[in-house]
Amino acid sequence: MLELRGVRHRYEGRTVLDLEQFVVPRGALVAIVGPNGSGKSTLLRLLALLERPSVGAVWLDGQPARHTAVWRRRVTLVEQRPILFRGTVRDNLGYGLTARGLRRAAVDSKLEAIAERLAIASLLGRQRRELSEGEIQRVAVARALALEPEVLLLDEPVSSADRAATQQLYHALAAERDRGRTICLASHQLEDAYRWSDDLRALAEGRLAPVTPENLFRVDIPDGPAGATRHVRVGPLEIAVATDRAGAAILAVAPSDMFLSREPLPSSARNVFSGRVTRLVRPRPGLVHVTADVGVELVAAVTEEGVRELGLAPGEPVTYAFKASAVRVF
Amino acid sequence: MDFLGDGLRRAVHLLLSGDAEVLGITLLTLKVALLATTCACALGIPAGFVLASRPFWGRRAALTVVNTALAFPTVVVGLLLFGVLSRHGPLGELGWLYTWQAIVVADVLLALPIAAALSAAAVQGVDPRIRRTAETLGASPWRAAWTVAREARFGLAAVVTAAFGQSVAEVGAALIVGGNIRGQTRTLTTAVALHTAQGDFGMALALGLILLLLALLVNVALQALQGGGRA
Repeated sequence: MLELRGVRHRYEGRTVLDLEQFVVPRGALVAIVGPNGSGKSTLLRLLALLERPSVGAVWLDGQPARHTAVWRRRVTLVEQRPILFRGTVRDNLGYGLTARGLRRAAVDSKLEAIAERLAIASLLGRQRRELSEGEIQRVAVARALALEPEVLLLDEPVSSADRAATQQLYHALAAERDRGRTICLASHQLEDAYRWSDDLRALAEGRLAPVTPENLFRVDIPDGPAGATRHVRVGPLEIAVATDRAGAAILAVAPSDMFLSREPLPSSARNVFSGRVTRLVRPRPGLVHVTADVGVELVAAVTEEGVRELGLAPGEPVTYAFKASAVRVF
Repeated sequence: MDFLGDGLRRAVHLLLSGDAEVLGITLLTLKVALLATTCACALGIPAGFVLASRPFWGRRAALTVVNTALAFPTVVVGLLLFGVLSRHGPLGELGWLYTWQAIVVADVLLALPIAAALSAAAVQGVDPRIRRTAETLGASPWRAAWTVAREARFGLAAVVTAAFGQSVAEVGAALIVGGNIRGQTRTLTTAVALHTAQGDFGMALALGLILLLLALLVNVALQALQGGGRA
């Protein structure tokens, strides 16, 4: 329903997005994952009709979309670092509704309902300077949801939220999807994106990445001598990584680079983690994505035959192994 | 220093006695400056928005023209306008030369680049997410511009102040196109110039004080309109 066709977008002579086709189907919750600078935010701004692609077009319901207020009212974007307008939270929640010509009473009833649903009713009278980053993010999501757009776009909607607020927001988004709203969000948090989305896409350097984006982790790589293997903390795990980089980074392990066994096997792999299978997903015939909780969620790509031989099923024990050199650093 | 003391005493006396000529000059100055400020801001602020908001062909050239116009000598503007408004000029039929309307036109021409350049700077200073957010929430172009203007209100208030300051203090162009005619085109600045040349420092100082007072009052009024600077 919302679609980019033949889009190439350039900033200052550099191509930042190159997508032959990108479709957000009606009623789906699509998640886009990828490292910083991969083009996620640009993609969302193009989908929101806030920028015109250098080449190509945005299509909405089979028609080329125009960059006018009438078309924009069908698609609403919540930016990564959202900004509130001058005034109270109530003023902000009512902004788009007033722009659509709703009467005061209708505006009030809609904004109070959405404030209740996102647990921000107590903030309605506050000024923007009295809110924390996390609160601003929730108000911005509520401000967009209040408009009941056909498509809701969210850029890192939980980057400033705590765990409880994150879950609350994802529950609200899933409920919106169940009501038929189309949602497309960009996220760094693979676990949440995987759990809540119907369709996961990976973006790298402005293109759809050929590998599935499972096993992405945002980490802080410690300093160390050049050439030595670094040990990076991911939740309760310590992952060995062959890299000379240090500082903030994204780690990615392709599911096809994971080895599975029922018991830990002697191998040269530096990363060996045991846990239990949580689910099996079949993205296409013959291929199974096995997800296990080993402290964090890891996904391995296995054949149907392999699943049968290893007796893999939810709740069964399993050991994942991968080499330090299989960990890609973005 | 005697002339300053004498001048001040004369100024206070003139102000307190409600001298009819001083009152007339003050009211004319206020009328001309307020009208010129209104026209300059009505044209200059939208122009500043256009210059700052979106890239378009010729934008860089337009910014160069506006910035150059900021440094335009006021007597040259007066001279050019004199040519345009004089009997054989393109707008001679209006019969505006040596009228207060001619002073308003001169003041608008001088305040317009100030209004355009300062409003462009004020709009450019607003976080670009404000406009994007307004647009994604479905605001029409006018509502989005109004939202940006609300965020730039301090900068835009400075635009009005600067335009008023330019208009109320203008002397060179006002002398050339207004002619400093007593009771008709004599403003505070041209009167100060005249009385100083005649050696009537008291009168000149009194008019100068009124000029300062006007500027002060306009600034205080604008600050009050901004609502005490709350975010």
